[in-house]
Amino acid sequence: MIDAVYALTLRSLLLQKRTIVLVVVALTPVLMALAYALARSPGDHDHSFYSDLVQQLFVPTVAALVALVFGVSAFGDEREDGTILYLVATPQARLRLVVAKVAAAWTASLLLLVPSLILSGALSLRHGLTAGLVGWPLVGVVLASLAYCAASVLLSLYTRRPIVIGVLYIVLWEGSIATFAASAAKLSISAYGRAFVGKVLPQAAAPVSGTLVAGIVLVAVAAATAWIAARALGRVELP
Amino acid sequence: MSDAPAIAFEAVSRWFGDTVALADVSFTADGGVIGLLGHNGAGKSTTLKLCAGFSTPSSGTVRIFGTNPRRTPDVYRRIGIVPDHSPPWPFLTARRVVELSAELHHVEDHRGAAAAALETVGLEDAADRPVGGFSHGMRQRVKLAQALAHGPDLLLLDEPLNGLDPTQRSHVIELLTRLGREGRTVIVSSHVLHEVERMAPRVLVLVNGHLVAEGATDAIRRLISERPRRVLVEPDRDGRALARELLALADVDAVRLQNGTIEIETSDPAALSHELPQAAKRTGTLLRGIRPVGDDLESVYAYLHDRARGQAR
Repeated sequence: MIDAVYALTLRSLLLQKRTIVLVVVALTPVLMALAYALARSPGDHDHSFYSDLVQQLFVPTVAALVALVFGVSAFGDEREDGTILYLVATPQARLRLVVAKVAAAWTASLLLLVPSLILSGALSLRHGLTAGLVGWPLVGVVLASLAYCAASVLLSLYTRRPIVIGVLYIVLWEGSIATFAASAAKLSISAYGRAFVGKVLPQAAAPVSGTLVAGIVLVAVAAATAWIAARALGRVELP
Repeated sequence: MSDAPAIAFEAVSRWFGDTVALADVSFTADGGVIGLLGHNGAGKSTTLKLCAGFSTPSSGTVRIFGTNPRRTPDVYRRIGIVPDHSPPWPFLTARRVVELSAELHHVEDHRGAAAAALETVGLEDAADRPVGGFSHGMRQRVKLAQALAHGPDLLLLDEPLNGLDPTQRSHVIELLTRLGREGRTVIVSSHVLHEVERMAPRVLVLVNGHLVAEGATDAIRRLISERPRRVLVEPDRDGRALARELLALADVDAVRLQNGTIEIETSDPAALSHELPQAAKRTGTLLRGIRPVGDDLESVYAYLHDRARGQAR
């Protein structure tokens, strides 16, 4: 039953018009890697470029934006068109509904992000590409996007402008404050995502934690926000 | 199955900022079709949303089969809802939408239940077409089918007759009447009294968030038809003589002269229709025009509102 909700949500997410914009966003690192590959000169450091691409663009901006928009749309659009009423007015456990939504948003995000990261790595590193160099950043992107999706689903239940608030968090908090203050980075999803990149690539700043802790934090953020969202679903005013 | 009534509202109020959507409303509903009447913005949708667990009262309590649906989703096994919104997932066929609804309500044979519900609303021929291409009336019927598929004890229907043609209306009214007779509780919101009185033996009338009348539909109809009426008369000359003549009549409660017209308030419009021409003849006045004032639905609701607050005469 719940797989039906997951499948329908995934279909709705992939068919929405803004997915085209998200494809363009997800293709940005690929285009940058392609430009780098075409203009590469003998003295260039492929690892350094790839590291910057993943840590400064992919995880904090591309993955965050894609997951934010899919996460917000999973429930947000249904609040707008009233579809949410047909789901809420069923005896399904609220947590199961939320998990189906988060899972659908996460799947949609990964469908865009995973090929983009692999292509970006292949173009940037060419023959230097190893499973580890793509695998560890991939784990970071996968887990960070899970946390972003769950947090975005929660946001969409509490506010009418979840994308604006989400973008403000990504730009102001993660992109600005958390990059200057080490303690603020502990409240940044992308900082934990970048911790996985640091396993195989040089990091601009000291990692916020080890990969194990980062993984636990990201999964915990996803679980906690999904749980709160399930509670919110029984409290928020529906259309 | 609990003995608690299908719906129990106790001193329920709902406000949004400074706007009061529902004020101190109490009623119970258990079995039969009940009409929820009121003009747009009267509080009908808020009442239905509170019943459906889509909203929380600002004060008071709402109990559906003795529980709060917001905290006990299991109660939705017994509730079918037709919201004001379009059916979900327009890219799916009507059959799939209804099947999915039955499936989400834990109906074992959800395919069979969906087929039966689609047949009940007369949509079996169009069942395998995507809902997105349906007319408004067909969408209404999809919504009704998804609400019926799991055999609910309580149906909450927000303007279910909107967009239906006369034949479909009759069919849906018949269906709802039958469901009410079977002992299910069917709440139907509408702003049209004659539509509701065809199926609901009991009505609740909401005006500006207040429950202003409640009871047998016949009694409410009588109350409305016996309310004081106002008639505007246009005489061909100074109307003072006619006004004096009218004031002497037993059925005329008040007469007002304004801008050359005479506004008459009467509690017996039928008697006035006989007496007015005679009064005009006696005073040698020609009547250029006669028209009722405040006979629209809004005025009827305003009258019920004033009456409930003890202001109506």
